[in-house]
Amino acid sequence: MNDKYSSSTITEDGRLLLKKMEREGVESVWDRFQAQLPNCGYCEMGLSCRICVMGPCRIDPFGEGPQRGVCGADADIMVARNLGRMIAAGAASHSDHGRDLVEVLGKVAVNEAPGYQLRDVEKLKRVAAEFGITADGKKPNQIAAELSDAMAEEYGTRKKELTLVKRAPAKRQEIWRKLGVAPRGIDRETSEMMHRTHMGVDNDWKSLLLHGIRNSLSDGWGGSMIATEVSDILFGTPKPGVTKVNAGVLKKDQVNIIVHGHNPVVSEMLLHACQDPDLLKMAKDKGANGINLAGVCCTGNELLMRAGIPMAGNHLTTELVLATGAVDMMVVDYQCIMPSLGTVAACYHTKMVSTSDKARFPGMEHQEFHPENAAAKAKTLVKDAIANFDRRGEVFIPVESVECMGGFSVEAIVGALGGTPKPLIDAIAAGKIRGAVGIVGCNNPRIKQDYGHVTLTQRLIENDILVVDTGCASVATAKAGFKQSKALEKAGPGLKEVCGALGVPPVLHVGSCVDNVRILVLASALANALGVDISDLPIAGAAPEWYSEKAATIGVYFVASGVYTVLGPMPPITGSMNIVKLLTEGLNDAVGATFAVEADPEKAAVLIRTHIEGKRKKLGLPHMQV
Amino acid sequence: MKEVVVHPERCVGCMQCMAACASAHSRSKNLFLASLETPRPRARVHVGVGLYNEGFPNRCRHCDPAPCLLACLPGAISRNAEKNTVFIDPNRCINCASCAMACPFGVIRYHEDFTAPPGKTVAVKCDNCYERQLAGLIPACVEVCKSGALSFEEKADAMKRKTDEVARTVSAGVAQVDLAPGFTLLNAIKRQQIELAR
Amino acid sequence: MEREANLNYVIIGNGVAGIHAAETLRQLDPNGTITMISDEVFPPYCRPMISMVLEGAVPPEKLPIRSSSFYEEFKIEPVLGNRVSAVDVDNRAVSVNGKVYPYDKLLIATGADPRRIKAEGLELKNIFFMRTETHVRQILATLPTVRKALVLGGGLVGFKASYGLLRRGIQVTMLIRSGYPLSMQVDSEAGRMVWDELKAHGLDVRIGVEATAFEGKDSVTKAHLSDGTLLPCDMVVIGKGVFPARGLVPKEKIKVDAGIVVDEHMETSAPGVFAAGDVAESIDIARKSPWVNAIWPEAVAQGRIAGMNMAGRRTAYKGSLSRNVIRIFGMDVMTAGLITPPEAEGFDILKVADSRAKTYRKMVFKGDRLVGMVMVNAIEQGGVLMSLIQSETPIRAPREALLKPCFNFKQLMQM
Repeated sequence: MNDKYSSSTITEDGRLLLKKMEREGVESVWDRFQAQLPNCGYCEMGLSCRICVMGPCRIDPFGEGPQRGVCGADADIMVARNLGRMIAAGAASHSDHGRDLVEVLGKVAVNEAPGYQLRDVEKLKRVAAEFGITADGKKPNQIAAELSDAMAEEYGTRKKELTLVKRAPAKRQEIWRKLGVAPRGIDRETSEMMHRTHMGVDNDWKSLLLHGIRNSLSDGWGGSMIATEVSDILFGTPKPGVTKVNAGVLKKDQVNIIVHGHNPVVSEMLLHACQDPDLLKMAKDKGANGINLAGVCCTGNELLMRAGIPMAGNHLTTELVLATGAVDMMVVDYQCIMPSLGTVAACYHTKMVSTSDKARFPGMEHQEFHPENAAAKAKTLVKDAIANFDRRGEVFIPVESVECMGGFSVEAIVGALGGTPKPLIDAIAAGKIRGAVGIVGCNNPRIKQDYGHVTLTQRLIENDILVVDTGCASVATAKAGFKQSKALEKAGPGLKEVCGALGVPPVLHVGSCVDNVRILVLASALANALGVDISDLPIAGAAPEWYSEKAATIGVYFVASGVYTVLGPMPPITGSMNIVKLLTEGLNDAVGATFAVEADPEKAAVLIRTHIEGKRKKLGLPHMQV
Repeated sequence: MKEVVVHPERCVGCMQCMAACASAHSRSKNLFLASLETPRPRARVHVGVGLYNEGFPNRCRHCDPAPCLLACLPGAISRNAEKNTVFIDPNRCINCASCAMACPFGVIRYHEDFTAPPGKTVAVKCDNCYERQLAGLIPACVEVCKSGALSFEEKADAMKRKTDEVARTVSAGVAQVDLAPGFTLLNAIKRQQIELAR
Repeated sequence: MEREANLNYVIIGNGVAGIHAAETLRQLDPNGTITMISDEVFPPYCRPMISMVLEGAVPPEKLPIRSSSFYEEFKIEPVLGNRVSAVDVDNRAVSVNGKVYPYDKLLIATGADPRRIKAEGLELKNIFFMRTETHVRQILATLPTVRKALVLGGGLVGFKASYGLLRRGIQVTMLIRSGYPLSMQVDSEAGRMVWDELKAHGLDVRIGVEATAFEGKDSVTKAHLSDGTLLPCDMVVIGKGVFPARGLVPKEKIKVDAGIVVDEHMETSAPGVFAAGDVAESIDIARKSPWVNAIWPEAVAQGRIAGMNMAGRRTAYKGSLSRNVIRIFGMDVMTAGLITPPEAEGFDILKVADSRAKTYRKMVFKGDRLVGMVMVNAIEQGGVLMSLIQSETPIRAPREALLKPCFNFKQLMQM
């Protein structure tokens, strides 16, 4: 295979489509990355500040040029402010996504969202109970109305502490309270971060970082957690199921519609429309053999988890799939949608549709979805996609799809274990499974696509470490064949035995990136069962190819929750070695976990194994020298 | 005589020298207005990227003897000994690219410039901000560089400093001082990423 | 030691090698006598620019590279308008029109002459060479009456003539012997790109065909081609290349191969006799064998080196290197060194074509050295590569880096 493309991606579909795009003169994310080089060192180090217009300012990392911004902020303050705003943006994104779901829940409760329903009433009741809403004698709609109100309240600022914080082990909650970082309102912490980082407010880099922790927790144990729970209530709690992944899921003889983005509110309705008999007939009349709905990015993961809809790819594949010429329509909602997509689509026949009132893109038709009109709107879009089917030019589907098992919600995992986490704990205690690692995050053109995810996953499972993954990481390992029974061959003997007995692959797909909270919930369940804190568990997190602000926030709430987390790319913090030291060492004293940055996934695997064996030792479990 | 000296190890790749250079070689000498001019002013210093994506401000060395000067067909390139600057006369330049073939540093570009006859593509390169220097200003790229990758000083001073630095690091018992450990750390990560992709 | 009496320097040829030698001599030896002999009476001019004059990109008055006071300024005695009839190595003298000029040091910088062809009707009007300022003036004078031109040869001269005429809006047919235009300068891929560009602008290229005879009353009107075609044309330019103008050299006294053979000091086998420029044959850096690289920048370099050595400053010349840069319509082509090396001799070839950016790069390596390169478009970094070939620098960067669009000087520096 051509060297040129294999340094961009490890995937075969990626290489072939990239080659095709280049031949056809279509610019890709990799081209734009090259054009940006060299990256600005000030920005990469967090040493540039555009917060006010006394500046913009930058600080010379070599110590001779300016060492303070116009306001007097030194490198520590500047880096902390920039990081703080990064965390705030990430928290805002996931939490605002959660708010949109709460709104749909509210509309469903009053029957103003035709097409949507309460798919998991049991979960509705369970979550409602956590919010102090009793179910006795109430109709599900009534409970939904009350829960939606209660959740909406969480976003405000009138509480002392978010409700779902109680899900964390008691020891963990105590640590947060002691540090003063227990999150209050979801919006409040983000808003306060923007305030603190305004010129002349919080100029103690440590206190800024502490608020960064609080802000991230407002997402992890607040907005994101609400997003996942409400999605489960509205669309069903995921159950294991088998589907297919990679660009080979596109079908030459069918109308192909791809959903892209994060919020299942739109994609769920499209799913229903694609199964509409009238529309299926319409497709048939057009000469298509059906309507094939597939996903990219996390809205795809939402559908995969719940409905077994196939995934065409992850972040860096979003442009490439268009080059197949087989995508009749791509429907986007928000987050991680490259504004270049409209331009790429214009080179093929793909119709691009944006659906969110808060996310518009060049070269896309805007068809705004609201809970009231979503079902009808979805049908219109599918009709348009069918109409677009015969405008196709040459179609190139580069590979055969790969089988993949998904749908491992915490409920599903515990279900598979027989209703209690005990068998998993026993397997860990016995050393058959050394520990568990959550691999999360994106793709990043700095790193060969999927190389970080796949390499790390391989090294962990062969050492009997269970991997649970989300988001683009989960699609990466699915494409690489880690989410099928055959993958047990790649696992160590203990992991192979346990997973084999349970009938699950060694790498469990736990959802979209907002679903990282499932990992928090699972970790809490394990910790509670053992009577310890999350930071005592032989577990870790990793984001080998992260790029987005959301991922930064996830990383912080993982670490703040006690999960040692290894990052691939370096966050923009090296301008302050004080902050680098704090995040990679000092945090251990505060929250019992730290970050590590390791670009090489082989070495990251060693770091993680060392960490896990260290935790095993402390728990008095059989351990080994890594 | 002061000259622009490049210290590549201090380049952080921010490309601010390029914007400052383009602006200094515009009609308006104002970054915002310059961006609206036709022809669009272009930088004469070029921040290229090293094998590990590190930045490097590549500018004319004003060689003596200058290979571009010797290669120039119409005699459009000359040397001003007093300012130690090699100039290209846009009126005499015939855009034959002979200098592109001669320059061992790849610092010459070919485009329209407001100093050239309208519509004419000419060879363009660093002029050591001759006009700014006449006005008592230092070259624009140096003025804007905050990381110390570009300095304007006597060559002898720069060399002495370098020699001293080397001397310090070779003296017994003195470890090399890492001026910016964060920058070193960042570069190590980037280097690793690139090596892994290869 | 006491300095000998003033030396007599004689330079044959007032081309670029000759004038650079003269200037260098005058710089190093203010008192020597310098005599410059040339058959051209026009002031020293830039030969590569004559094709740009033809093309209309450069007015003829830009051709001179030295002012008319050049000889005076450098205290040079010009002997113009006459060819040297003999070089007497034994008696250290040259004769011109019966007049004898003794020399202590002699430089032969006679350049090259256009290669002639055999065909009937060559005496007709409007059949030209394109080598000198006179030639191009003659061609320009006839242009208003010309609609169809025939260019013989697809080498650099034929190519530049065709390009110049095309730019003047004249229909051009080019006859070439080898498979593609510029076969000595570029490889087949770049040749194909050049050809496509020219075809897109209306050039008619015929391969493997030669002109056998020309017809016409007074001026040429038709050409007979070797494939039997009768081609109407009202101008013919013969561009079949050049050969070193070494006719005046006594071969029994001075070693001559394709050109006059020189050593690293530009000195011939006859002591005190030097040669430089298009007539000289020196070691080719990339080929590692004697070669005549009849190109302007080598003439400049060789003239300077010869001048230094003639003045007694021993300076070695590293050798010559073939190279060229051509701009045609929207396309730039740069080449240097060995671009189509003999097969199975341990050369490694790397190529990258980017249809989107319309670029092509080819690098030829021998061991850890770059020995040749071809670039189509995005040629700004070509000089960096050229200097790597010329200086025979071991390449430490990954070879692939040299072919990438982002290649630049920094990538050769150690971190």
